[in-house]
Amino acid sequence: MRRRIVFLVLLGTFIGLAIWITGIGKLGIYSTFTGQDLLRETGVHLKYVGLGELIAIVVGVSLGVVVSRPWAQRTRLSTVVVGAAGMGQCIPSMALIALMAPILGFGLWAVVVALFVYGLLPILRNTYAGFRSIDPAIIEAAQGMGMSRGQIVRRIELPLARPVIMAGIRTSTVVNVGTAALAVLVGGAGLGRIILTGVLSRQPLITLQGAAPTAALAIVLDFLLDALEDRLTPKGLKVKKSQA
Amino acid sequence: MIRLEEVTKVYPDGTEAVRGVTLQVAKGEFCVLLGPSGCGKTTTLKMINRLIPLSSGRITVDGVDIYKVDPNDLRRGIGYAIQEIGLFPHMTVGENIATVPRLLRWPKERIRRRVEELLELVGLVPPEEFSKKYPAELSGGQRQRVGVARALGADPPILLMDEPFGAIDPITRERLQDEFLRIQAEIKKTIVFVTHDINEAVKLGDRIALMREGRLVQYATPAELLAHPKDGFVRDFVGADRTLKALRLLRVREVMEEKPPTVEASKPLAEARERLERLGVNFLPVVDREGRFLGWLNRTNLRPEGRVAEVMTPYSVLATPDTPLNEALSLMFESAVGNLAVVDGEGRLRGLLTFRRLHEVLRESYREEGQG
Repeated sequence: MRRRIVFLVLLGTFIGLAIWITGIGKLGIYSTFTGQDLLRETGVHLKYVGLGELIAIVVGVSLGVVVSRPWAQRTRLSTVVVGAAGMGQCIPSMALIALMAPILGFGLWAVVVALFVYGLLPILRNTYAGFRSIDPAIIEAAQGMGMSRGQIVRRIELPLARPVIMAGIRTSTVVNVGTAALAVLVGGAGLGRIILTGVLSRQPLITLQGAAPTAALAIVLDFLLDALEDRLTPKGLKVKKSQA
Repeated sequence: MIRLEEVTKVYPDGTEAVRGVTLQVAKGEFCVLLGPSGCGKTTTLKMINRLIPLSSGRITVDGVDIYKVDPNDLRRGIGYAIQEIGLFPHMTVGENIATVPRLLRWPKERIRRRVEELLELVGLVPPEEFSKKYPAELSGGQRQRVGVARALGADPPILLMDEPFGAIDPITRERLQDEFLRIQAEIKKTIVFVTHDINEAVKLGDRIALMREGRLVQYATPAELLAHPKDGFVRDFVGADRTLKALRLLRVREVMEEKPPTVEASKPLAEARERLERLGVNFLPVVDREGRFLGWLNRTNLRPEGRVAEVMTPYSVLATPDTPLNEALSLMFESAVGNLAVVDGEGRLRGLLTFRRLHEVLRESYREEGQG
């Protein structure tokens, strides 16, 4: 309940700010962006985050499954892969996006690939952790009853690891909403364009006009993914222990 | 039938977990693999359903080499139960039990009926209610029952059980063991059961395979193992109280004195005194006209006049012909006279258990060893 109040207050503040600044219209020789501009840039922003996350989820979860196999742990592949994904996150986000442009050209794909690299680690790490946290006795029971490897992953491991994986996706998404604002540096659009306009014209209100919806977007996505995480948590993991 | 021939497991690092174990479990037999931790009993068990690959040797089930079948097909035909932590926490009790039937693609309706049948068998009633619960909503004992039911899911002829009652409190464990014996009497599966608890092994097993450092030390019936331990290790493992443990294997009916002399409650005390003196005993069981046991007549309570009923000591403890001897012995110590009356369902006196008789029987079964 308290969480929900905090959520609504924050969301209301950011959306209110954006609406108020949009309503001002003229700021000296500059004019603020219109409501239409805001909606369009928010849409583009969402597209960047969505595409980047989609690839990050597919790659991150698959890699997570692979590196949590016993043979991958024996051969230390897990350590190498998780370490490599960690390095991706160590590169400053701004540098990462800037480095993508010469490779992939300016525009959409440079942004999406940078967001994918940046969002991969939390998902991969959580998938790996989620699989590793499963009691080996459960896996052994499944094996002993004649489930194939694929059946064990699909019916046992993925459902049990799902809450942890979802938490990773949530972290990754929220971080990437902020990172996507840097798309403007490599010829992209999105809410970063409004923020940069404000910076270059020395109009803090215009900067805020881009920053407030970015924050609102992060808050909304965080809330929605949290709800989804709860929905996707198997019921059997949520029930209270009985004292019978 | 399960046959292990010279079964050996050597790990890549050179540890020999199991060395040349040969044993045979007949159809419908309950075999217990017993031994201290690290003796190779669990490894042996897991080699039977190929969870652990053999290094050398051969295992056959009903004459078929287990390496001639697909491992998943093999496992779907062998029930497997481990401690309660092996339940799938995200599945309901019903879904857990339905695991193997679902793998075998049974029709839905048949699975539902089977789940209910099994829940009833393991005493989780009403089945409709328990079927929908999650493992986290059950007590440890209930979860273990689910584990047993799940192993029985597709009605496999063989059950492998790896310390299934290990994590349960002693009282619940005893009850689960009793229930499981009752179930086994009904379903007559071929069972291989791993435990490190000698009492559990003696109670459950038709045969006990005692292992040490990967080797099979002695493979014998519980009575044989207790009466004639093969060497010092077995003797130590079964414990200095092995005679007392053996008592559990006997029932009162096998040891009691049948048709003991009695005295009727309505008889005059003078007649009772005469009977006591003639028999040369200090106590006599008192019965009513229908032969129902009422209590004890103690020689020291005799009076010159009156009837037996007036001076008799009412009984405090009783046994039935099916009471295990270890419980009976404990009751004898509680009994006022040191003897134990054995009655049937209607309360009629069936026999008498005395310390002298108990001593005779035990001395007989342990005599051979005493001479050796």
